[in-house]
Amino acid sequence: MFRFQSLDEDCTLEEEDEGLVEEEDEIDQFNDDTFGAGAINDDWQEEHKRLAELDERDELAAGLSLGGGGTLGGEPDLGGTQHSSSSSSSSRLPPSAGRLPLPSSLPPLGFSSSSSGLPPPDVEDRPGDGDLAESLARLILEADPAIAGVGAAERPGPPPGPGLSGLHGLDQPRVLQQTSSIPHQHPHHPQLPPGPSASGLPPGPPPSSMLSYQQQQHLMRRGTAPMGQMNSHSIWENSMGFGPVSVTPGLVTHMEDSPLMSIIKEVGLPKRPPQGRNDEGRDLSERVPPPRSSSPVIGSPPVRAVPIGTPPKQPMSHALNHQNSPLCRGPFPPRVGPVLSQIQRAQLLNSQVAGFPRGGPGPPLLPGGGGFRPFFGGPPPPHGHRMGPPPPHGPPNHTPPIRHNTTHLHPQHRRMLTQRMQSRGGDRGRTGGDRRSRDPYSNLMTQKEKEWVTKIQMMQLQSTDPYLDDYYYQNYYEKMEKRQERERDSSKKEHTTKLITPQVAKVEHTYRPVQFAGSLGKLTVSSVNNPRKMIDAVVTTRTDDEEKREKQVWNKRRQILYTVEKMYSLLLEVQDFEKRFVQTPEEDRDALVEQHKSNTEQLCSSLMEKEWEDRVSDEQCVMIMSVRKGKRLISRLLPFLPSPQATAVVMAIARNLPALAKKDKQDQVLCWLVEPVSTVIQSLSSSSLTDLLQELQGSEGQLATVLHNKFGVTLLYLILSEGERMQSSDPNCQLMDDNRWTELVFSVTRELLSVPSSALSPPLFTPPNLLSLFSRYVDRQRLELLQDKLQMSALSR
Amino acid sequence: MNYVPGTASLIDDIDNVASCLPQTGSIVTDYNKHLVLLRDGRTLIGYLRSIDQFANLVFHQTVERIHVGKKFGDIPRGIFIVRGENVVLLGEIDVEKPCDTVLQQVSIEEILEEQRLQQQTKQETEKVKMQVLKDRGLSIPKADNLDEY
Repeated sequence: MFRFQSLDEDCTLEEEDEGLVEEEDEIDQFNDDTFGAGAINDDWQEEHKRLAELDERDELAAGLSLGGGGTLGGEPDLGGTQHSSSSSSSSRLPPSAGRLPLPSSLPPLGFSSSSSGLPPPDVEDRPGDGDLAESLARLILEADPAIAGVGAAERPGPPPGPGLSGLHGLDQPRVLQQTSSIPHQHPHHPQLPPGPSASGLPPGPPPSSMLSYQQQQHLMRRGTAPMGQMNSHSIWENSMGFGPVSVTPGLVTHMEDSPLMSIIKEVGLPKRPPQGRNDEGRDLSERVPPPRSSSPVIGSPPVRAVPIGTPPKQPMSHALNHQNSPLCRGPFPPRVGPVLSQIQRAQLLNSQVAGFPRGGPGPPLLPGGGGFRPFFGGPPPPHGHRMGPPPPHGPPNHTPPIRHNTTHLHPQHRRMLTQRMQSRGGDRGRTGGDRRSRDPYSNLMTQKEKEWVTKIQMMQLQSTDPYLDDYYYQNYYEKMEKRQERERDSSKKEHTTKLITPQVAKVEHTYRPVQFAGSLGKLTVSSVNNPRKMIDAVVTTRTDDEEKREKQVWNKRRQILYTVEKMYSLLLEVQDFEKRFVQTPEEDRDALVEQHKSNTEQLCSSLMEKEWEDRVSDEQCVMIMSVRKGKRLISRLLPFLPSPQATAVVMAIARNLPALAKKDKQDQVLCWLVEPVSTVIQSLSSSSLTDLLQELQGSEGQLATVLHNKFGVTLLYLILSEGERMQSSDPNCQLMDDNRWTELVFSVTRELLSVPSSALSPPLFTPPNLLSLFSRYVDRQRLELLQDKLQMSALSR
Repeated sequence: MNYVPGTASLIDDIDNVASCLPQTGSIVTDYNKHLVLLRDGRTLIGYLRSIDQFANLVFHQTVERIHVGKKFGDIPRGIFIVRGENVVLLGEIDVEKPCDTVLQQVSIEEILEEQRLQQQTKQETEKVKMQVLKDRGLSIPKADNLDEY
C-alpha cells in the first residue's frame, strides 16, 4: 500500500522535521566523519524507502501468489489491495486457490524455488511493468530463504476469521518449505491441514496477515534497520533477533492481539536455525571448540565433534513436530499458542530433548500462578491432551534392553538386576502411573538423558584389565561362584556361570617423538599427549654431616619401605600367577612360567644374606618385619617360599621375637603371622621343631618375654602341640631321641608355672593337646596348676 | 533401571518415585523428597529432578532446613541447582517411616534468630578461649573448614 506507506513516512518525516531540522545536516556530517570520505553518499532515506517497498511487495506478492509464476513485475498497488480489510478477505480465497497450478511455471525462470519455496509474485495481479532489474533483484531476494521467510509474511489475504486464519498461518510455513506441497495445501483450506511435514515447523514468519498494518510496518522497519546494504542476507541477519521466527499455527489465530505482538517485539523470539534438517549438523558444529591456536594438532587428542560432556540433543524439529500434532487437532483456544511456544523454548533451553512419544507429559505447565506472560491464561487445557501419549510405560513391562556395554556384567549379577527391577517395577507400576500423572514436574529428565548419564558411568567400567581395575568386583563374584559350587549338590552338576569379561582392546600408545626430515634436534612442540621436558634437572646430594645422620635414620626406614614395596609387587605377581596362567593362551604360558620362577627366586634372594646366598638373612628379615607392612608381607610370602627357606624364616622370627614383639607393641599385627607360621610348623621335622623351640628360648629371659606376647604364646603352643601330635601319632618319632625336647618342655613348664597369670598373655587359640603333652612331663600337681593357668588364660581371652 | 553394577545410582531416585512397597489399598499421595547436606553445612530438602555424571543435582521445591538445638525451621527456596562437588551426603526421605522426632518446628524468623544467637555464643566462647590460650603463650591455629588447601 504505497499510499499508506507514504503516509507513514510523511508522518515520520514530519516529526523529524519539527524537532530536528537543524540536526539533519549535522547528522550527515557525523556520517561522513564516522565513515570517512569513502562512505556511501546516497540518501539513506531513499534507500530505506525503496527497500521497504520491496519487502512489502514481496510479502504481499508472495502471500497472494502461492503458485504464481510468470513475469515478475511488482506493483505496490497490489500490496495495497492485499491489505484491504478483512471483509474482503473471503474473496481472496478463490483467487489464491486459483493460482495453484502456477508453480509449474516457476522452473522456466531458472530459479530453483525449492530452497526458498517462495513462488514469485503472482502473475495475474501484477502487470509486468517493473523493470527487469528490479524484478531480478526481487527474485534474488525471494530466493534467499532468510528473506523469503520474512518476506513471505503476507499470505493470501487477511484472515477471514479466527478459524481460517489459523489455517493460513499453517499454510504459510508449509509454503516456505516445499513448493511441491503447495498444491496440497490449499484444498485443505477449510479444514485444518494434516500434521506438520516431516521437515518440521519451518521458520515461519509471524503471519503478518494477522498483524495489524502498523505492527507489520513496524516489523519491517526494524527488520530493515541497517541501511545501505544491498546484500539481502545481511539485512535480515542484522535484525534484532527477528530472524525467521517460528510461530506455531495455533498462535496464528489471535495474532491481532497486541499484547502478543508487543511482547514478541520486545523480547524477540530466539532465532532458530532456518532449516530443521540441518539442525544436528549445525548444532554439533556450533559445539565444536574453536580450532586451537596454541597447541598444534601434532600429538593432540583427537578433536571431538561434540565435546565429551554434551548432553544428548535431538533435532528440534522432532520436538516441534510432536508438539504440534496433538495441538493442531481440536479447537484450541488461541491462547494455547503462545503457551506452547514459550514452553517449547523453555524445553529446548532446558532439556534439549523431546522424547515426546515416550517421555510423557513433558515440560511443566505452570498451572495458572507462574505465568510470566500475560496471556498465559487459565488452566492449560492441552495438559490433558499431552497425556495422550501414555505416560511412562512403566519400566517393568519388559526387561529393559540390555545395552551392549553391560554384557560384561556377571550373569549372576544380571539376574539380580532383573529381579530387582521386576520387583520394583511390580509395585511401582501400580502407583507409578498415578503418581506421575499427578505430578506435573516429573520427567524433566527424560529417559534418554537418564540413559545417557548411566552410559557415562558405565564407560568408566570398560577396562583393559578387569582384574586390575575392578579387582573387588571380580573377586566378589568369584567367591560367590565358589560358594555356590560348594553349596550346590554335586549331583546336580549345574553349570556354574563363569564370568567372562570382554576386554577393551588395549591399544598401546607408544610415544614416538615427532621428527621432521632434515631437522636437527628435538622438536620443541609439546601438547597434552607428548609433554616435553623443558628443564633438565640434575639431582645433587647434599653432604652435610648433621643432616646426614638424621637422614640416615630416615633413609633406613625409607629403604626398608622401599624393599617392602618391591617385594610386594613381586609377591602379588606370584600370587596372581595362577589366575593369569589360566587366562593366557598356550603359547604364552611358558613365558609366564619362566617369569613366575624368576619372581619367586627374586623374592627368596631378597631375604637372603648378601654374602652367603643360601642363608636367610636374619637382619633382613627383622628389618622387614620391623615395619607393619613388612610383617604382612612375610605372612603372605611364607606360603610361597620353599620349605627350607620358610623354616629358616620362622626360625629367624623365633630367634628375634623379643625385638619384634617390642616393635609390634603399637600395631599388634604379629598375629597375622600365626596362620602361615602354623602351616610351616606342621611341615617341620622333629629336629627342626626342637631347634625351633630352642630358638624360642634362646637367650636368657627370652621365654618370659615370649610369654608376655600374644603371638609368642601362640607360637609356643603351636610348637608344643605339634610336638605332641608328632609323639602321639608316630611312635617312631625321633623327638624323644635326644633329650633336647624333653628338656625344653621342662623349661617351658617351669616358666609357665613361674610366670604370674596376669603376665601371661592369652594366646589366639589353645591347642587341645597341650594337656596331654604336659601330662607326659609333669606330675599331677603341676599338671593341675598348669591346667588352671591355661584355662584361665583361655577364659580371660 | 540401574545398570551400574554394585553401585548406588540416583537415576531411580529422580522425581517422586518411592522405592518401597506401597500399602495395599491406599494410594500413597506423599512424594519422596531427598535430603542433601552440603559442604557448607546447609541442609536442603526437595524433590530431585535431574542429575548428571558429576552428581550435580537439580532440586525442586527446595526447602532449607536450619536446625538449632531442638528446633528447626524451613525456608522455602524454590529451585536449587547444586554443584556436585559440594555434596556431602544425599539421601531419600522415607515418608512412610513414622516420624516421632522430638524436633519442634518453628517459624523462619525464630529459627534465624536462634541461629544467630548460636553463632554469637559460639564466637564468644571461641574468643574467650583464644584469649586464654594467648595469655598462656599458646596458639592453636584455627582450621578453616572450607579451606582445604
